[in-house]
Amino acid sequence: MAFGKFLIRRLLQGVFVIWGVVTITFALRALSPGDPVNLIAGQVPDQSTRDQIRQDLGLDQPMYVQYFDYLGNLLTGNLGYSYNQRRAVNDIIAQHFAATVELAVAATIVAVVIAIPLGVVSATRRDQPADYAATFGSLVGISTPNFWLGIMLILIVAMQVGVFPTSGRGIAFHEAMYNLFRYGYVLDLLSWLSYITLPAITLGTYFTALITRLTRSGMIDELGKPYVTATEAKGLPRTLVRYKHVLRNTLIPIITVLGLQLGTLMGGAVITEEVFNWPGLGQMFITSLRNGDWPVVQGIVLFIAVAFVVINILVDALYARLNPQVTDE
Amino acid sequence: MISDRIKSNLTNELRRSLLAKVGIVLFVSILLMGLFAPVLATHNPHEQGHSDEAGASYPPLGLTDEITIAQDGERVSHTVEGTSEHVLGTNNVGQDIYSRFLYGARTSLLVGLSGTLLATAIGVPVGLTAGYFGGRVDDGLMRIADIMLAFPSLVLALALMGAFGRGTVGIPDPIVAAGFADGMPETITFPGMVTVVVALVTWVWFARVARGEAMAIRNEEYVKAARSLGASHATILRKHVLPNSLTPIIVLATIQVAAIILLESSLSYLGFSGTTLSWGYEIQRGHDVMRNQWWVATVPGIGIVLSVIGVNLLGDWLRDALDPNIEGEGAGGAG
Repeated sequence: MAFGKFLIRRLLQGVFVIWGVVTITFALRALSPGDPVNLIAGQVPDQSTRDQIRQDLGLDQPMYVQYFDYLGNLLTGNLGYSYNQRRAVNDIIAQHFAATVELAVAATIVAVVIAIPLGVVSATRRDQPADYAATFGSLVGISTPNFWLGIMLILIVAMQVGVFPTSGRGIAFHEAMYNLFRYGYVLDLLSWLSYITLPAITLGTYFTALITRLTRSGMIDELGKPYVTATEAKGLPRTLVRYKHVLRNTLIPIITVLGLQLGTLMGGAVITEEVFNWPGLGQMFITSLRNGDWPVVQGIVLFIAVAFVVINILVDALYARLNPQVTDE
Repeated sequence: MISDRIKSNLTNELRRSLLAKVGIVLFVSILLMGLFAPVLATHNPHEQGHSDEAGASYPPLGLTDEITIAQDGERVSHTVEGTSEHVLGTNNVGQDIYSRFLYGARTSLLVGLSGTLLATAIGVPVGLTAGYFGGRVDDGLMRIADIMLAFPSLVLALALMGAFGRGTVGIPDPIVAAGFADGMPETITFPGMVTVVVALVTWVWFARVARGEAMAIRNEEYVKAARSLGASHATILRKHVLPNSLTPIIVLATIQVAAIILLESSLSYLGFSGTTLSWGYEIQRGHDVMRNQWWVATVPGIGIVLSVIGVNLLGDWLRDALDPNIEGEGAGGAG
């Protein structure tokens, strides 16, 4: 049962990582200046009201008590309450996370659809014009700050062409799909598409560039291996060998890299959402941080960390299934 | 430490690769712009009010901009022409964009280089020690690295800025103090907290690479020989392990300069910086006025792209020439 053991070890590591993230963000809140009471009550001079609020929030307790209370609440799934939105952090995250997931998935699709063919072409036509173009394009892609790219897309595409809105989200994907299947409205889906296209390109460009580079170098390594020569010598068609065997062997390590880059994707989402006024977790994170609304900040960071850990465990498990050597380590 | 073999590898690769040459030219240009910003600037970057008689911002030289202004209670069309006084135009508060561009290069490079140095200074000793001794120390480091990886670097950097504030350090500008550039700002606002924060976010990459090197080196014969001759661990770390792990660290550091330039610009775009003389801050301002003055956001972005491309090409050159066997790890762009 090497696989089961492997999975348990990874799960324990994941729990430890999440505890670390919770502790660090809690420490940051404790270090941060500013009195949350001001955020809740405004600059109320009435001392007894202030004391009451402080007591209600448990802020009059020593730090270690607050820390263990926070951990205890987390264990019951309670992320606490926002200082100035008068809502539970759980509700705030539930309201905003779908927008971020939509954006992240759309960006990943953009990246994979463009990058993998580009990387394959680049590797199989090495040192030809197509390879140079792809290599240069991916260099520019990893060197462009995505917030600037977003603004340029708004300036050049949205404002000139006029098909794509300059900001906002319009309709949620699940609503658009519901209307499509329930009433046969196609327009809602098109509207959703028009809103998400530019943000998805903005967020996806870095990953397009990264995956193009990885596919190219992975494929070049793989093409040099003896089995490729052997299959070709056997007379198997080149395309079959390239796409069925070589590409598959190249993609497995890329999936691992993508799992680890999920953090970069979420970081990119924060700034993309800010540029396009996309109502997701990233924008909520920035707004809350600017306001000093730490419970929301902590909740969103924790949510992102949990997503990171879970997805990486899944990727590792998949990888271990495909390649049993990993579990023997 | 730099052997003849390394030198010849570097020059051979440079001779062979056009991109390496482009990288050096780009990086050196940006470096010179930043260093000599007070001399090259045509205006004090903070000075406002450079607008035409109708209060409109100038577009870059050679371009015209059509705007609508209120005149005697009526809305009339007004044409602004770019002037050689402001080659890249002026922004919405009438500051000279070219001069601000030069000063922005300064901030990006200052943070990029000093942030990388600081991250190296934290990460390398930790990584070397962990890798050399192994065991508990090493386990501890790897667990910390796991935690750091679960934070998106931009998110962690923002949270740190939120907690620590936006402290800056004023450094007297030597060029202005020496009297070579009258009317330019007398102090350089160095975003110290941003530098500390980007180092705290990126040191773990250096620790990981240094650890890997130290693990390989500790089993080398010359380390065992030095040990049996009575050399202390500290001496071995300093005289053998560190010098032999420098190549991958230098390559990683180059890539990290690019990542940190992007991270700094993202932080200042979001308003967490401390200095207004930053490309990211300027893009934020340009974002607000992009409907009317597209050039305000466009110009500084080109600065970021060119300098990051330059640094990335330098990194590729070093990697290809020195072949330290790291696949751009930690190159995670923040922006």
